[in-house]
Amino acid sequence: MSVQNINVALIGNPNTGKTSVFNQLTGLNQQVGNYPGITVEKKMGFCKLPNNVKANILDLPGTYSLNASSMDESVVIELLLNKNDKLYPDVAVVVTDVENLKRNLLIYTQIKDLEIPTILVINMSDRMARKGISLDIPYLEEKLKTKIALVSSRKGIGIEQLKELIVSYKTIPHEPCLNASVIDPEYFAKLQKAFPNQLMYKLWLVITQDVNFLNLDRNEIRSTFTKSHSELKRLQQKETIKRYQFINDVLKEGLKIDASIAKDIRAKLDRVLTHKVFGYVIFFAILFLIFQSIFSWSTIPMDFIDSTFASLSSWVAEELPSGILTDLLSQGIIPGIGGVIIFIPQIAFLFLFISILEESGYMSRVVFLMDKIMRRFGLSGKSVVPLISGTACAIPAIMATRNIENWKERLITILVTPFTTCSARLPVYAIIISLVIPSKRVFGVLNLQGLTLMSLYVLGFFMAILSAYILNKVLKLQSKTYFVVEMPSYKMPLLKNVGINVVEKTKAFVVGAGKIILAISVILWFLASYGPGKEFNEAETIVKERFANTTLDETQFENEVNSQKLENSYIGLMGRAIEPAIQPLGYDWKIGIALISSFAAREVFVGTLATIYSVGDTDNESTIKSKMQAEVRPDTGKKVFDFATGISLLLFYAFAMQCASTLAITKKETNSWKWPAMQLVFMSGLAYLTALIAYQLLK
Amino acid sequence: MFQEIIAFAILGFAVAFLIKKFFLKSKKKKDCGGGTDCGCS
Repeated sequence: MSVQNINVALIGNPNTGKTSVFNQLTGLNQQVGNYPGITVEKKMGFCKLPNNVKANILDLPGTYSLNASSMDESVVIELLLNKNDKLYPDVAVVVTDVENLKRNLLIYTQIKDLEIPTILVINMSDRMARKGISLDIPYLEEKLKTKIALVSSRKGIGIEQLKELIVSYKTIPHEPCLNASVIDPEYFAKLQKAFPNQLMYKLWLVITQDVNFLNLDRNEIRSTFTKSHSELKRLQQKETIKRYQFINDVLKEGLKIDASIAKDIRAKLDRVLTHKVFGYVIFFAILFLIFQSIFSWSTIPMDFIDSTFASLSSWVAEELPSGILTDLLSQGIIPGIGGVIIFIPQIAFLFLFISILEESGYMSRVVFLMDKIMRRFGLSGKSVVPLISGTACAIPAIMATRNIENWKERLITILVTPFTTCSARLPVYAIIISLVIPSKRVFGVLNLQGLTLMSLYVLGFFMAILSAYILNKVLKLQSKTYFVVEMPSYKMPLLKNVGINVVEKTKAFVVGAGKIILAISVILWFLASYGPGKEFNEAETIVKERFANTTLDETQFENEVNSQKLENSYIGLMGRAIEPAIQPLGYDWKIGIALISSFAAREVFVGTLATIYSVGDTDNESTIKSKMQAEVRPDTGKKVFDFATGISLLLFYAFAMQCASTLAITKKETNSWKWPAMQLVFMSGLAYLTALIAYQLLK
Repeated sequence: MFQEIIAFAILGFAVAFLIKKFFLKSKKKKDCGGGTDCGCS
C-alpha cells in the first residue's frame, strides 16, 4: 500500500496553543509560551497518521484574521492564496481556545470561505468544567460545516481524534460560511463577471491585501475594479461585522456558559498584577527574586564544575606524555570547555524562572503593564516580548519583532534589543562580579552580588528604552500605531514544558556558543604558544641574563620564561598593539586579547582569559577565578581585576555590540547594512565612553 | 611528531569551523524556522 503525503496547515489566533498541538502531532519540541508572538515564522514537522498517511504539519504564525497588519500575518495569507506553493495545505486545521471561541472563529470563517477543507480544533477543553462551559458539538459541526476535535494539547487529550479527522479530510464539506458577495453585491457581481472561474473571496483578498495569486496580478484587478482605500476599509469592516453576526448566531445555541460555576480568580489577579502601582512593584520584586536566586543557588554547582575542570587539566598534564598535544589539551581545550560548562547552572536557573513566567500567563500582563511606559519612548507594548526574549539571545528576539505592526516601532525595537542582557553576557558578568564585588549581605538579607547582577539587567533595559527615545526623536518615519495584546488565562506551568524550555535554551548556549568558544580557545592557544623573533624563541636565555644576579627556584624560573614567551607570542604582540587604546579603560593587553576575540561572541571572553592565563601559569590546578584573582600588573604590583577595572569591564560588556550574529540578523530583518552599522558604531562608542568615565572616576 | 600532527589537525579544524561559521552562508538552517523540514517521530 503506497504512502499518501498530505500538507496540513495549523492556523489560528495567537496564543490558542497551535504550537502545543504541533508538538503533540509531530513529537517535536518547539518552544511553547503563554504569551502571544512565539511563532513568527512557519515551522514544519512530520506526523505518521492512520491508513498509511504521512502528514507534513505546518505551524503558521498566529493571526487574528486574513486582513494582515504585520509581517508574520502576511506569511499565512501568502500561503493560503498560492495553490502553486509546494506547502499549500490539503487541509487547514484552525486551532481555537474554548474560552475565546467567538473571537477565534473569525479567521475560521475566512479560511472556510477559501474553500479549503477545514477542521476546527477547540483547544484547552480541560478548562471547560472549571469555567462552566458546555458545547453542543453536533450543532456546531452542522452550522460551521466542519468536523470538530475537542482537544487539550497541554494534556494530550483528543489528539488521536484529530489525527483521524485529518486522515478523513476529504469528507469535510467545502461549503463557505459566508457568501462573499454580501459584502457589496453590485461590486462582486461585476467581479464575478470579469473572472468567472475564480473564487470570489480569493479575489477579494487579492484586492485588499498586498498579495498576488495564480496568474492574476493584484494591480491588474485593482486598476479594473478601482475603489478608494477608505472604501475598501469600510467594506472590510462590513465583512467583519457580517462574520461576527454569523458567529454570534451559531454560538447562541452551540455554546453555554454557567456564570455561577465560573470563578473570577483571573479578574481579581489581573486587578492586582496590572495595577498602576502594585503591578510594577510586583514585577520588580519578581525580577529581584530571580537574580538573587541565580547567584545564591548556583554557587555550589559552579564551584564544583570549576574545580573539576582544574583537576582534569592537572591530571592530563601529569598523566599524558609531555608534548604539544598534551599542552593543547591541558592549557587550551579543557580550560576552554570549562569556561562554557561552568555557566550552565546560572543559565538554567534564569530560563527556569523565565519559562515559569511565560507558562503561567504572567508575561502577557507584563506586556500590557509596560505598554504605557514603552509608548512614551517610541516603542510598543509588544516590544517587551523581544526585550524579554533578549535575555536568552538577541537573535530570536529580533526575529520576534515581526509581530509589531508599525515599521518605526519595529525598527526601533530591533535597534535597541541588543542592549538587553543576553545569556552570553551572563558568564562575563558572573566572573567579574565574583572577582570585584564582595559576597556579603546588605540590609541582612540581600546578596550584594545578586543585587549587582540585577542592576546590570536593569541598566541594559534602561539603556534600551533611552536609546529608543532618542531614535524616536531622530528617525523621521511616519506610521499609524495601535496596540492589541492577547490576555491569556492563568495556567499552572506544566513541568514538561518548563523542562523542555530550560533544556533547549541551555543546550543551545552550550552547543552553539561552546563550539565557537572551543575553536577560538584552540586558535588562541596556538597564537599564545608560538611567536616570531628572538624575544620568543630565546626566552630562556633572556630570562637567565635578566636574573643573572638573582636566585630563582625552578618554578619561579619557569613562570618567568612562560611570561616572557606569552608577552612575545603572536597573541601577545596583538594585545600590545591595542594596549594604548584600552589602557585608559584600565585594561592590560591580556584583557585586550579577550576583547578582540569576544567581538565574534561575548561569551568567548571568559574562555579566552582562561586560555591565556593557563598558558602563562604552570599551576594547572588553579581555577579560572583564582588565576584571574592572582593576576597583577607588572609595573605597579596591583591586582589587574580591581574594583575600577571590574566596573569598567561590566559597563563595557553591558553596552558594546560584541556579537557578529546579531549584526547579521539586523541586516537580514532591516534589509540594509545601514542599521547594523549604526548599531555597531553607537553601541561600541557608548561602551568605550562609559567604561572610560567609570575607570577614570574609580581608579 | 604524532602529537604535533594531531595538534595541528585540531587547529585546522578550528580555523575551518570558524570560517564556515562567520564567513560562509549556511545552506541549511538547523532549526525548524523558515519552513525548513526538521523531521520527527
